[in-house]
Amino acid sequence: MGLTADLNVSVQSLLASTEAMDATTTNLANTNTAGYARRVVVLEETAPSGLDQSSTGVDVKTIESLRDTVLDLSINANTAEQKLNDTLSNALSGVQVEFSDTTTNSIGSTMDSFFSALQELSTSPTSTSLRSDVLTAAQNVASAFQTTASTITQAQQQADKSVVQNTTDANSLLQQIAATNGEIQTAKALGQSDNSDQDQLSSLLSQLSSIMNYQTSNSSDGLTLTTSGGVPLVVGSKAYSLTTQLTSSGFNDVYANGTNITSIISGGSLGGYIQARDGTLATLGTQLDQYAYDFAGAVNSVQTAGSDANGNTGTAMFNPPDTTSGNSAGAASSITVALTSGQQIAAAASGGASGDDTNLEKMISLQNKDLASGATPSDTFANLSYDIGNTISQATSNSTALGNILTQLQNQQSSVEGVSVDEESSNLVLYERSYQAAAKVISTIDTLMGNILDVGVSNPGY
Amino acid sequence: MRVNPNFSYDMVNLMDQAQAAENKAAQQVSTGRTVNLPSDNPAAEAAMIAENSQVASVDQYTSNSDSLTDVLNTANSTLSSVVTELQRAISLGTEGANGTMNQTDLDSISAEVSDIKSEVMSLANTTYSGQYLFSGTATTTAPYAVDSTDPTQVDYNGNSQQNAVQIGTGLTVKANLPGSSIFSQSGSNVFTALQSLVTALDAGDSTAIGTATNAVSTALSAVSTAQVFYGNTVNELTSNATFLSEEKVNITTYQDTLVSADTATAATNLTQSNTALTATIEAAAKVSQESLLDYLK
Repeated sequence: MGLTADLNVSVQSLLASTEAMDATTTNLANTNTAGYARRVVVLEETAPSGLDQSSTGVDVKTIESLRDTVLDLSINANTAEQKLNDTLSNALSGVQVEFSDTTTNSIGSTMDSFFSALQELSTSPTSTSLRSDVLTAAQNVASAFQTTASTITQAQQQADKSVVQNTTDANSLLQQIAATNGEIQTAKALGQSDNSDQDQLSSLLSQLSSIMNYQTSNSSDGLTLTTSGGVPLVVGSKAYSLTTQLTSSGFNDVYANGTNITSIISGGSLGGYIQARDGTLATLGTQLDQYAYDFAGAVNSVQTAGSDANGNTGTAMFNPPDTTSGNSAGAASSITVALTSGQQIAAAASGGASGDDTNLEKMISLQNKDLASGATPSDTFANLSYDIGNTISQATSNSTALGNILTQLQNQQSSVEGVSVDEESSNLVLYERSYQAAAKVISTIDTLMGNILDVGVSNPGY
Repeated sequence: MRVNPNFSYDMVNLMDQAQAAENKAAQQVSTGRTVNLPSDNPAAEAAMIAENSQVASVDQYTSNSDSLTDVLNTANSTLSSVVTELQRAISLGTEGANGTMNQTDLDSISAEVSDIKSEVMSLANTTYSGQYLFSGTATTTAPYAVDSTDPTQVDYNGNSQQNAVQIGTGLTVKANLPGSSIFSQSGSNVFTALQSLVTALDAGDSTAIGTATNAVSTALSAVSTAQVFYGNTVNELTSNATFLSEEKVNITTYQDTLVSADTATAATNLTQSNTALTATIEAAAKVSQESLLDYLK
């Protein structure tokens, strides 16, 4: 074995230790970096060298990035689902207040007051002030319908704005993902390490999963991102930007590569806003319209069958809805009281005396009669309250459950990928020692070689 | 297995949950309710709305009963006055019929009976807050008026309708009795009877005075029968009011079980959740302090 060979081995050792320390430093620097998976230096013995082939040095085989891609995917899928539930519950929370039993001017409470006012009038059917009270109560019912309808519409408009905003955010991420994808391909082609690009990609994918759900697959072009329906989002280094288009409903649909993917997006905040806007809120709006339409229609049909205080045949109390068309769309937002005076309330049976309350009793009995919806006016309101409350409550408990799963998965991910400061500190000590040892060997060889050279060059008096 | 070196997410999640639990407990203590929004308990909230509607109905039935009681009591006391007047007419008639009085005395009795007749007519036209009590459902029309062609006759201008008022779910009471079945029934017309008494007294015909006095008695018993109707209805309203107040207590008790927070439990929950939050925060602060770097020299 030769000193020169040993020198080479020691130099290799120095280089390997330096690289290992580099990796450790990188790990420590990125302790809190999103998407970062810790690096581990894999060392290997080099081919033997020296005259007797006995010196085998060390070489850095690879710097491995400890990434669990399956776990990453699972975390992203869960994130998308949790974000959807969070967004849904937030987007609906403003609306549910209108359906609370403690809200003073809710449809339910104004309707109770309306029937109470009718009852009160029945004790003194010719009273002008009690007739005015009924009219005021009817106006309160109409404005409660309008307020609730407008709260729902506003929540839908808010969700729609967020849909557009989310689409812009998603586009920025899709472009970055495509660019990173391209860099990974280039690095691979050049045989360079793609570790940092993979970290970047992981962070981007994680961010995207908060906005929308997607599917990934790997091909020769690298990563391919599609929607759940297979519409391409990113293929290799090309990003298919999402676009929004205003529809006749006044809201924006989301398109990818010419395909309407509005109803396909079923995760992330984008999915949550779409579900709130086109699902829960749209259904609630339709039900509210039907409710207003049915209620007004029921009151109107009794009203027009009786006689008012002046002996005239009663006219419709509520305006519109157009009962002849059978179309309830927009009924809740446009309902108003058609009567202008309490005297027009048809308390008496057709042709009855002004003090007659026969028709009034029929109107009062509507309180306990089922509307077309199959429930009484008050129960219809209670049912709507249950529906919205239940949707929010389910979204909230889903979010909590998914949050717990996510914590588990993130623990698992961190136990594989996460940087431990303690571990890196101890590695640092280890690599520092091995560097010092290699340096010591070099210094020793230097001394030895110096001694030999001294023998040849100068002869100190033998 | 390698231990997760970064428990910060874990800690944040735990702190979030502890914080949420504390917020909820604090809200329950401050509002006294476990259900503050539909999403807190959708089924309880829906039941709450239905029960609120019930409470509104019960309150209204109670209010209906109260205002109806006032009307009916007014009508009843009016009828009592009519009865007193008619009794006076009968005793006058009886006096006049015994044949011991001279025409001058009979004339003065006749004048008194005439006054009674006008008094009864005025009582029959009694109003309560602007509504005539005895004109059926034509409550804006005075039920009785002197006939325009024959001033001795009194005409009924009301109708024979009765109004029904709800005092419970599916429970109604008749709110009035038309004058036509109190004062002016055929065979027991108060005004006709009084008029024939006046005519008989004016004529000094003892037999006719006796017959007319009997007719007034018959009319009086019709008025008394009407009093029974009002008395019974008021009794029904009173017992119904008791039932309604009990029903309201039942509903409110049920509502309490739906949404009310038990103060002691809520306060305990608040203390517990606060302790849990403090413990989590302290644990988080402690574990992140230590590092190997502290010991490497």
